[in-house]
Amino acid sequence: MYKLIVVVWSLLAATTISAGMPGGAAQEEIFHARDKVMPALVHIQPVIKNYNTGELEKRAVIGSGVIFHPDGYAVTNYHVAGKAERIICTLYDKEQVTAELVGGDPLTDIAVIKLHLEGHTGKIQVAEFGDSDSLQVGQYVLAMGSPLSLSRSVSAGVISTKDRFFSPDVRLPSGERTGRYNLWIQTDAAINPGNSGGPLVDLSGRVIGINSRATLLANNLGFAIPINIVKETVHAILTEGKVTRSWIGLHCQALQELEEYFGTNRDAGVLISSIDPGSPAEAGFLKAGDIILEVDGTPVSARFVEELPAFYNMIATHKPGTEISLTVLRDEQTYTFKITTRELGQLQGEDFECKEWGCAVKAITRQMQIENQLTDTIGVYVVGVKRASAAEDGGLRPGDVITKVNNEQLSSLGSFITLYSELTSTGTDGILLTIKRGGAVRFVFVKIDHQDKEPADE
Amino acid sequence: MNRKNVSYAGGTLCLWAVWGLLTLTPGKAPAQDFDFERIEQKARNFTVIIDMKLEISFGIQTSDQQERYLGAIVTEDGLVLFNGMALGENVLAAFSPFTVKTTPTKIEVTTLDGKKYDAEYLGVDRFTQIGFIKIVGNENERFTPIRFLAGKRFKVGEWLTLYMLLPEFVNPSLAADIGMVSLIVESPEFFPLTVGFSSLQMTSVLFDEDLEPVGVLGALLNPSHANTDAGGMLESFSQFGIPLLGVVVGERLEKLIADPPMKGRPDRGWLGISLQALTPEMAQFWGLDVSGGIIVNDIVSNSPAEKAGLAVGDIIYEVNGGQVAIDKDEKLPIFQRLIAELGPEASVELAVIRHTESAADTLKLFAALEKAPLAATEAPTYEIESLEFEVRDLVFADYLFHNLKPETFSGVVVAELKRGGLANVGGLRLGDIIQSIGNVPVTSIEEVSAIMESVEFEKPREVIFFVWRNNKTLFVNVKTDWD
Repeated sequence: MYKLIVVVWSLLAATTISAGMPGGAAQEEIFHARDKVMPALVHIQPVIKNYNTGELEKRAVIGSGVIFHPDGYAVTNYHVAGKAERIICTLYDKEQVTAELVGGDPLTDIAVIKLHLEGHTGKIQVAEFGDSDSLQVGQYVLAMGSPLSLSRSVSAGVISTKDRFFSPDVRLPSGERTGRYNLWIQTDAAINPGNSGGPLVDLSGRVIGINSRATLLANNLGFAIPINIVKETVHAILTEGKVTRSWIGLHCQALQELEEYFGTNRDAGVLISSIDPGSPAEAGFLKAGDIILEVDGTPVSARFVEELPAFYNMIATHKPGTEISLTVLRDEQTYTFKITTRELGQLQGEDFECKEWGCAVKAITRQMQIENQLTDTIGVYVVGVKRASAAEDGGLRPGDVITKVNNEQLSSLGSFITLYSELTSTGTDGILLTIKRGGAVRFVFVKIDHQDKEPADE
Repeated sequence: MNRKNVSYAGGTLCLWAVWGLLTLTPGKAPAQDFDFERIEQKARNFTVIIDMKLEISFGIQTSDQQERYLGAIVTEDGLVLFNGMALGENVLAAFSPFTVKTTPTKIEVTTLDGKKYDAEYLGVDRFTQIGFIKIVGNENERFTPIRFLAGKRFKVGEWLTLYMLLPEFVNPSLAADIGMVSLIVESPEFFPLTVGFSSLQMTSVLFDEDLEPVGVLGALLNPSHANTDAGGMLESFSQFGIPLLGVVVGERLEKLIADPPMKGRPDRGWLGISLQALTPEMAQFWGLDVSGGIIVNDIVSNSPAEKAGLAVGDIIYEVNGGQVAIDKDEKLPIFQRLIAELGPEASVELAVIRHTESAADTLKLFAALEKAPLAATEAPTYEIESLEFEVRDLVFADYLFHNLKPETFSGVVVAELKRGGLANVGGLRLGDIIQSIGNVPVTSIEEVSAIMESVEFEKPREVIFFVWRNNKTLFVNVKTDWD
């Protein structure tokens, strides 16, 4: 509390002196911004589902959000509400309403929820989105939300950096990689757990970012997703229910300090560092060490890591199935490669709990296949194995891929669920699963003890 | 007092605690039956104290350490066995690129009558963790070795005795202890379990009530990591870090003494499969009339198994005419040890069931075993002094660990990295697999050495490495410093 006062005070002093504003003008601006956004602030309590222990576990979490549409649409983080089963929201007037998940995008860590305002009598105020491309470092901002569940809290600070880069290997708590397509706004406005999903607001009262990360054990290192990225994600979720991206399977690296080695000019080209197996880029004969000079005739460059998300986005925003033309420098020669993009698809597949066996499985998406070095997407992926269950006794482990149930070859999660349901209803004593672990095939015998079974509801 | 700072054999404090316990334990009645004077007379001939200087390197850290072990001379020309647990490969070493490498740099052997000898390190048996050293520089000297009694029939309830090594400042340094055979374990192999001994006494020679040396104290193996036949993936079973102790019996010791393990010399037979046990449930499911066997889960390409014509899914139910009655994974080490001990040149006859949903055929296959692949700790290394790091060849365990295929993937592994050194600062990481230096692909440390020789001649400002890390590739620029 003390710290916050100090910040606001020093901020005030700074304004008065530097901008030559009349005394108290900055305070007035803060009040104005507060009044424009605070009434649209939502305290969000979702119950999220987790299958990592081999059974469906539900957990109540806390986050923040902001209403941006009079019909009750609010934006928050994917890691707050993206896996929500039920959502309870507390509005600025302290009234509670329920909400439902409209859609989410783990890659930008954004989710949209719709508040059920039917019984709500109070007025709903909507926050306005600003423009995150015109931000300035040093500009005053306010962070609003529910730090450590303390709802309706405001903190103040400045924009510390507007183009902070994080590795796209960072994972959300639910396991998906995130952040490949955006940079972050860094602020020293205090952001704590619970602020997630809340708005970062400029002094004109417009939302310029969605607070999503903080560095614990550090002072005032908070990070928000720029609102222009949020706007694109929200638009896609509202119109299509999801964000559709093109994928060609490239991983790139900043060219800084490698220009001499590759013989490129400064600020020219994007270096391919890695290619996903089975990707359009691989099929199109691109390889690591190639330098992309142009995409469909437009010059591209990534001398610094901060330039990579925009390049990835440039590829991703094509409609899946589009043929793109890449001008590539390889061994001092220029070549043109035509690559037809494919849809990136879901990072993770749908979950299914196998209660009788004591495990939970997931459909295998192409991105899971690449990440887990699988040869195909056939079968189901074991996300969790319950302790002391039949599945554990049989030797099943998280990370295994079930390819066969008894003698039936699986194709997808759907075929697995059908087989599982058949087997549980016929009351079989044991099931032989054929699994893949690493490169090897293994067999797991799941012995069903019918003594354990609870009597069926009649 | 800076010795034993990271002691594996137990720090001074531990020894004190155990010693305290020993002195407080009320005299066990059967102890009266042992003639400790006579045992000591016997023990004096073969017992030695080993002082070993060890260099321990773990990635970017290297430290020296002084260790003290109790040893037993087992041949006339000075072969000595001791507790090699700290030096042996463990699961981590075999499975992970992040190897803890413990290298003895100086070994001194002192007999109980005060004679000192230099010794060289030979190796550690991966199944028992018994280490071997050889006294050198005294070719003509003949020692009085211990000869273990083979074929001893152990009984539950019989008492055994041993000598343990006390801390250096306690004089005399040997103390007697007794323990009891508590259970005869038949699998993974014949192993009389004991109670009353502690893990600080590992590899001490055990005498029975007739004062015969019947074995040494060892630990029960945990087969839970044993899903390939490469060996080296066994560790002693322990609960809360306390191993279950028992007797490594005379027969096994005599075998080891006749052909002691040598570091860097793969002396185990290897088939090249991943495996699991055929349980009765599986046998029933497939309609097979066998009491156990080995299911072949994966076959290493170009391995003896592939050359013999084994196929994934085959069930091995006989080896050289002997039944393989392995019906649970806990018994897999029986098979692994059988193959390992047949040796690298052995030719084996495998009786195999090849089955489909509707039919099962039996066939006989012949496999010529080969040397087991090297563990990461045994892999040859090459130090790139000018860039302050070390690489090693890729080994089988790397391919297994990273799920890579030797046919399509090659490189060398960053095995050591000097903290704050040029390679470290440039962004190389431990475990990175270097695939090219500049634009020259590298597949072995010999190739690295050739490239680095020319690099060191040309002295460029930077060296670009193309590396594999976490299932992706990237370029790493290491700035040089030739001054």
